[in-house]
Amino acid sequence: MLEKLTLDGKVAVVTGGGGGLGTAISLALAEAGADIIVTDFRPKDGESAAAEVVGLGRRAVFIATDVTKSEEVNGMMARAISQWGKVDILVNCAGIVREETGDRAGKPFWEITDQEWHLGIDTNLTGAFFCSRAVAKHMVERRGGRIINIASGFGLRGLRGGFMYCTAKAGVILLTMSLALSLGREGIRINAIAPGLFRTWQSKEMYDTRDPFIPVGRVGYPREIGALAVYLASDASDYVTGEVFAIDGGTLAGGSAPTGYAPVIPI
Amino acid sequence: MIPKGFSLEGKVAVVAGAGRSWLKALASFLAEAGADVALADQDRKQMEEAAQEVKNWGRQAIVIPTDVTSYQQIEEMAVAVTSQWEKIDILVNSMDLQFAQPLLEVTEEEWHRVITTNLTAVFLCTKAVGKHMMERKEGKVITITSVLAERGLPNSTAYCASKGGVGQFTKALALEWARQNIRVNAIGVGWISGEAEGEEGELRDPLVRYIPLRRLYRPDDLGALLVYLASDASSYVTGQTYFVSGGVMAHG
Repeated sequence: MLEKLTLDGKVAVVTGGGGGLGTAISLALAEAGADIIVTDFRPKDGESAAAEVVGLGRRAVFIATDVTKSEEVNGMMARAISQWGKVDILVNCAGIVREETGDRAGKPFWEITDQEWHLGIDTNLTGAFFCSRAVAKHMVERRGGRIINIASGFGLRGLRGGFMYCTAKAGVILLTMSLALSLGREGIRINAIAPGLFRTWQSKEMYDTRDPFIPVGRVGYPREIGALAVYLASDASDYVTGEVFAIDGGTLAGGSAPTGYAPVIPI
Repeated sequence: MIPKGFSLEGKVAVVAGAGRSWLKALASFLAEAGADVALADQDRKQMEEAAQEVKNWGRQAIVIPTDVTSYQQIEEMAVAVTSQWEKIDILVNSMDLQFAQPLLEVTEEEWHRVITTNLTAVFLCTKAVGKHMMERKEGKVITITSVLAERGLPNSTAYCASKGGVGQFTKALALEWARQNIRVNAIGVGWISGEAEGEEGELRDPLVRYIPLRRLYRPDDLGALLVYLASDASSYVTGQTYFVSGGVMAHG
């Protein structure tokens, strides 16, 4: 039964493949046997992720793509499909959390600009829609395919000052559920991974200060997300669709009290 | 071939409870991934079949007749396993009593029986086995539960309450034991084969139409997820109930 976890002969497109989680997922899928099309708007990071995949003995190409532009996405997907004749797996991992989206930017809510809002929503939510739309017809025609959307624990809970991010990630989760219901009969499965905090683009020092606030006592390492992506991309998860798999060191399990807080109530 | 990270080579697993006749399948998945497996239930026949399955994968199995609602018997079982294999890495709680009655017809005795089997037994087994995990500061607890942990169903108050309890037990204990490197998670399964449950064809067809992936749940469907949650591959996952439901959890 466990041989179903293999991705031998599969082709995966990973958007945001040059980022911390995107690279880790690309490498995990490649280790399980898949060839990878890495896309990112940052050529240097994307090229280097593709080179790492090749280092594992798999095929990889990098296609520079801005997921907020539907024409670019359509062009990328057409190229991806023609590269090795098909796309079996799409991982929507492109996202943005930085201050230029107006989130947690140290200014009042009412000063967030249209441009900031759109940058965030277009990257985190519309990008996943554009990429899924671009590949869905191909998957339906082949009667098979898996889409994995990288959401967030903040798609399920609020964040002070996190207007765009929480809203966009909640949108990704509902896109996942609705698309799963729409394409289930066509043999396409769509699931989401909701990561907690992982050591990606910020400084080691910043993450070190966050360790005590995570129930398991540490921020996650990007490589720890790989196996979950392999499971959801493989035939081993054939009966799983429309689901959200949180991987967060226990963060979502609590949240009503500070970590480590043990109320002393005599009973 | 088992992907790196999913291997259970050298691990010791206890499967407690034989709910819905899944003991053999659960033991088989763990053994395929490399674990030795102890079987703890009162159903001799199921345990012997499961043990044979484990041996077919070239792993060791022990059968320990246990009433999973008796703390004393569970403690004795845990001691027997640790004296045989020196440790317990994985506990799978798979007790399940199905019960459906309108609330006004549920007797106190029936209510207690459902809660005792589906919820209290999870507490008892996790406490008795968790003690051994705590000594080594390492372990994985996985409870098999149901979509009815989160969704309601008429005539199923006792069952839904017991499964909802398992979900909250999982979250609270995951936090309590997070720093001791013991991960606590659950797998919620979907609507299972109507034939095995003795359901009429009449009920079965609309049920299948309701399921987005258009088929009922089969025991094989949770195999890889069980191994994932039992293995080091899920090192950053705790307090979660992952559903294998054919998509019904996405429904409105």
